[in-house]
Amino acid sequence: MKRNNWLSLLEGKYRVEIISLCVIIVIWGLLADFVVKELYKLPGPISVFYAFYKVREVIPLDIAVSLLHFSMGLAAGAVVGITIGGLMGWFRVIDRAIDPLIEIVRAIPPIAWIPFAIMWLKLTHYSAGFIVFLGAVFPILVNTYAGFRGVDKVYIDAAKVLGCDKGKDLIKYVAIPHSIPYTAAGTRIAIGIGWMCVVAAEMLGASNAGLGYRLWSRFYLLHMMDRLVAYMIIIGLIALIMDRIFRYFVEGKILKWKKGTVAV
Amino acid sequence: MNHKLELRNVIKTFNSEEGEIKALEDINLNVKPNEFLCIIGPSGCGKTTLLRLIAGLDLPSSGEIILDGKEVKGPSPDRGMVFQEFSLFPWRTVIKNVTLGLKIRGINENEQYRIANEYIELVGLKGFENCYPYELSGGMKQRVAIARALAMDPSILLMDEPFGSVDAQTRNVLQEELLGIWKRTKKTVLFVTHSVDEAVYLADRVAVMSTRPGRIVECMDIDIARPRKRTSVEANEIREMLLMRLGSEYQKIR
Repeated sequence: MKRNNWLSLLEGKYRVEIISLCVIIVIWGLLADFVVKELYKLPGPISVFYAFYKVREVIPLDIAVSLLHFSMGLAAGAVVGITIGGLMGWFRVIDRAIDPLIEIVRAIPPIAWIPFAIMWLKLTHYSAGFIVFLGAVFPILVNTYAGFRGVDKVYIDAAKVLGCDKGKDLIKYVAIPHSIPYTAAGTRIAIGIGWMCVVAAEMLGASNAGLGYRLWSRFYLLHMMDRLVAYMIIIGLIALIMDRIFRYFVEGKILKWKKGTVAV
Repeated sequence: MNHKLELRNVIKTFNSEEGEIKALEDINLNVKPNEFLCIIGPSGCGKTTLLRLIAGLDLPSSGEIILDGKEVKGPSPDRGMVFQEFSLFPWRTVIKNVTLGLKIRGINENEQYRIANEYIELVGLKGFENCYPYELSGGMKQRVAIARALAMDPSILLMDEPFGSVDAQTRNVLQEELLGIWKRTKKTVLFVTHSVDEAVYLADRVAVMSTRPGRIVECMDIDIARPRKRTSVEANEIREMLLMRLGSEYQKIR
């Protein structure tokens, strides 16, 4: 008997997932068409799929702009977070000197900085990048700190009897490799928070381009809710893909020696 | 008489919140070249502290520790140490664990690998060079730790209850292998244990420590011909004596 390609999916490895997703879309459609019955409150799946088609030309540029903001902020957050986190974890005096400032700034939601981001950096890409930086730097910093601070004493002792008598060698051969899984876990959190920040920053006026900007200033303000939902889906998918790529890269390559600590 | 290692009036006190704690009191000990010396004592008596002082990881409050005629001032690869806990760097493979010390010493890479391979083979782990520590059993980890220490060609090998956390069968095998390694490399070994059986099987001489503050209350030569049998009559007699001596130390704690 010859099988249809689509039907054979239903016997594959992910059949439960695929069926579940289909059922959810059907329920969504039924809710939209027969219960809510208002396009502004809940656009149905078909109009959303059509919206993807309608906005297809602006999607790539918006994604590129948002990814630019995101990578600027994440890169700066990683550099600053790893450096300061490492120094604070290794040197007690630096920890005590910087910790109060870190704790206060960390408690302020990054979005609260948007007015200053605009004042200082105007409507440049740096403005949204700065908000992403604020969202990304602390998870990386705090985790790297924990990685440096939590080095088991026996590793330090073992390194010392092998001839690592200088602090530089201990940091290079013990503290840094020990902290990598921590930093990786922090970076994974930072990716999630940073992506939220980029959308929020673009929505709240720190940019005049990007996914968040279009979602708010073009779609919401004109009540094009179908397109808005399409963009929400894009934003979610990108976050999912980034997380998967990061996990694959880090778990498969960097953390061969420590399976299953970064991924949940 | 020339001593490999000499401890003269070594005292170690720690400062804690309840004031000074005397961990070691007036330790005097001489270790001969190529000797296999076991140190046994009740838990908390300062056995590990003593070994850490010799390793240079802590400094004595007073007294002197002299190795090969030079006073110990800090940690150095001329005193190889195998720790009680698993101390392999989990982020380095077996071979990379063994080469680390050689790398820091500045030995070129080919030579690093040649030496490391030699010692990995010596401890019977050929074929596991590229494994990460999490892939190894407890006994294998400690073998790598021994290879790592020996690769630095230390003047003395310090072992702090290295087989404390492996199962009894593995422990017997590791003890036998250690004796083989000791015979081949002619190292001086200082071996801390809480097991009288282990001490009697391994040592040329056993030093018994008292409860805290730790002192060496007795040194006993184990004059049993090698290879030894764990169950021989003479081994049992020595075991009996040591157990009594230790038992009276434990009485003091109660």
